[in-house]
Amino acid sequence: MKHLKSFNKKAKMLDQATSPNEVEEVVAMQSVVGCTSTNDPGWEVDPFGGLGSLCQPMESDLYGCADACWWPAQVPDTMSQYPNWSQDVSKADQDWRKLDGIFPEEEK
Amino acid sequence: MALNNNKSKRALLSGSALALIGTMLTPAAIQAADGESVLKEKCLACHTQTGDPEAPYSRISQQRKTPEGWHMTINRMQRLNGLYITAEEKQAVIKFLSDTQGLAPSETAPFRYVLEQKPNVVEEVDPAYVEMCARCHSNARFGLQRRTLEEWQLHVNSHMAINPTTELHALARDRSWYDIAYNDTAPKLAMDYAFNDPAWKQWQKMAKPELAGRWSVAGYMPGKGDYSATMTVTETANDQFSVTIAGHYADGTPLQGSGSAKSFAGYEWRASLTVDGVKMRQVLAAAEDGSSMTGRMFRSAHDEIGGELKAMQGTAVVALSPSAIKQGQTQEITIIGSGLKGSVSLGAGVQVVKVLSRSADRVVVLAKASGSATTGMRDVRVGNSKAAAQLAVYDHVARVDVTPNESIARIGGNGGKLPKVQSHYRALAYSAGADGKPGTDDDMRLGYMPALWSLQPFDEAAAHENDLKYAGTIDGNGIFTPGDAGLNPERKYSTNNVGNLKVVAQVLDGDNAVEGEAHLLVTVPVFIKRAIQ
Repeated sequence: MKHLKSFNKKAKMLDQATSPNEVEEVVAMQSVVGCTSTNDPGWEVDPFGGLGSLCQPMESDLYGCADACWWPAQVPDTMSQYPNWSQDVSKADQDWRKLDGIFPEEEK
Repeated sequence: MALNNNKSKRALLSGSALALIGTMLTPAAIQAADGESVLKEKCLACHTQTGDPEAPYSRISQQRKTPEGWHMTINRMQRLNGLYITAEEKQAVIKFLSDTQGLAPSETAPFRYVLEQKPNVVEEVDPAYVEMCARCHSNARFGLQRRTLEEWQLHVNSHMAINPTTELHALARDRSWYDIAYNDTAPKLAMDYAFNDPAWKQWQKMAKPELAGRWSVAGYMPGKGDYSATMTVTETANDQFSVTIAGHYADGTPLQGSGSAKSFAGYEWRASLTVDGVKMRQVLAAAEDGSSMTGRMFRSAHDEIGGELKAMQGTAVVALSPSAIKQGQTQEITIIGSGLKGSVSLGAGVQVVKVLSRSADRVVVLAKASGSATTGMRDVRVGNSKAAAQLAVYDHVARVDVTPNESIARIGGNGGKLPKVQSHYRALAYSAGADGKPGTDDDMRLGYMPALWSLQPFDEAAAHENDLKYAGTIDGNGIFTPGDAGLNPERKYSTNNVGNLKVVAQVLDGDNAVEGEAHLLVTVPVFIKRAIQ
């Protein structure tokens, strides 16, 4: 690693965590219920408890990760559970308003 | 209020069952039998009968869950396994399984916040689970399940089948994730959350609390404040109830509502009400002795907007609003309770100047604390009522905690299908206690106080990205409303209106202003929401 130089903001932030143990400590410190930080990047919060290491805007690369179950507790995966979730929205950054949520538990 | 156990169920299904129908069958037994009939019809298309009367159905009989847990299981069967089931049939199965394979009150007690949909809870998780389970789920998600070892191990396998990239995430790809999950985590789960925990068998044998009746209710609703009410509960069918609620907010505004409720496992209360024109839900747990129900009432469409609720039977002072008075100060105090008859006593050094209004469940007094009243907690009594709430007499506000201290809000709206998720804050005040130093163990809790609310960037990066301008606003009641969803071309890379903010509360105490702060991440929407996150 000593021959590699941090190039972008995310790499610099990861550099700040000098060992994997330290990353785990940071993760363990912040865990508001329902949030996922460790999916590298996390969905709504990064391992440092902030937003700097997340994909932004989230619509730009949404399918690239979500299709492969990357945030299965936050975003519908089209690989296993919700194959038709985004079928009518080919470009999330243009048609994000058409994307719906999965809230089946509401029918009580 | 009978709760079927396996023995009575088996008796009904034996040869003598026909003779019992119409004579000894209780409504509870009929409903439970219905649920089991549906289970046999729908679930045994794939699951099998084991022949073991103690665990008659494969996979199903080796697990215990909350009503929400069983609901999620059946939803998954519909989603992934082709189950077709009507809403009524589903309710019958949930009821049957929650009553016969549910969780005891002591088993749900550590994790009620997730059933109550309470937002912004930070859990302390056993390190063995932090990386393996709790990095995607709440501790409550697995802490509210009981499974045999084999079932926990099959649960690991289900994860691999449904979400195969689980092994590739950070904190998984650097280790033998599957081996650890199957060989270490599952056995630990089977010990910590054991299927055969005696608590459930014990609870099944116990008499269950009576939920019908008149309850004295005290609670809090963001934007409205403290309220007191009488909740009248009538059983309409077995474990089903009609509910009316009527009372007042602390400022005197009336509160009025009605709806229906169901109970599960003898103590889990789930109500759907319309209160002042807004659809609300109650998730409460009845105390084992039936003397109280506690939990949370929240908006159905915005479950983050809600607050604690306590219902009590019998004569008692349930809550005070406000719950503190400063030495030398004269102020109104609302006493909330039930059967409030007789003279009001606020404790040594605090005088009732005048009773401003009174009813059986709400007494408003003008109180005066003498300048020399010793600081400390006072039992408040009305006649012979139990003192379940205390009044704090204090000298100065020395510390303000903003609750919740760590919080999330989510952008939404703007023509999209996902609503904004707000966050709500309260200022919890303390005096310094005997040592005169705030932030130490002897600080005295004064309760929630009105505050002036403002926002600041959380750090330099947030200031640089101008998060304050885009991420949202906070109102005078401490309710934060996040910015609009979607790409924002005004921001670098068209970044969403996310932001890393500090929520600041300023409590005025005479000429002093005491500040407290909390961390708020305004972040992206969540597309999946489960009953148990």
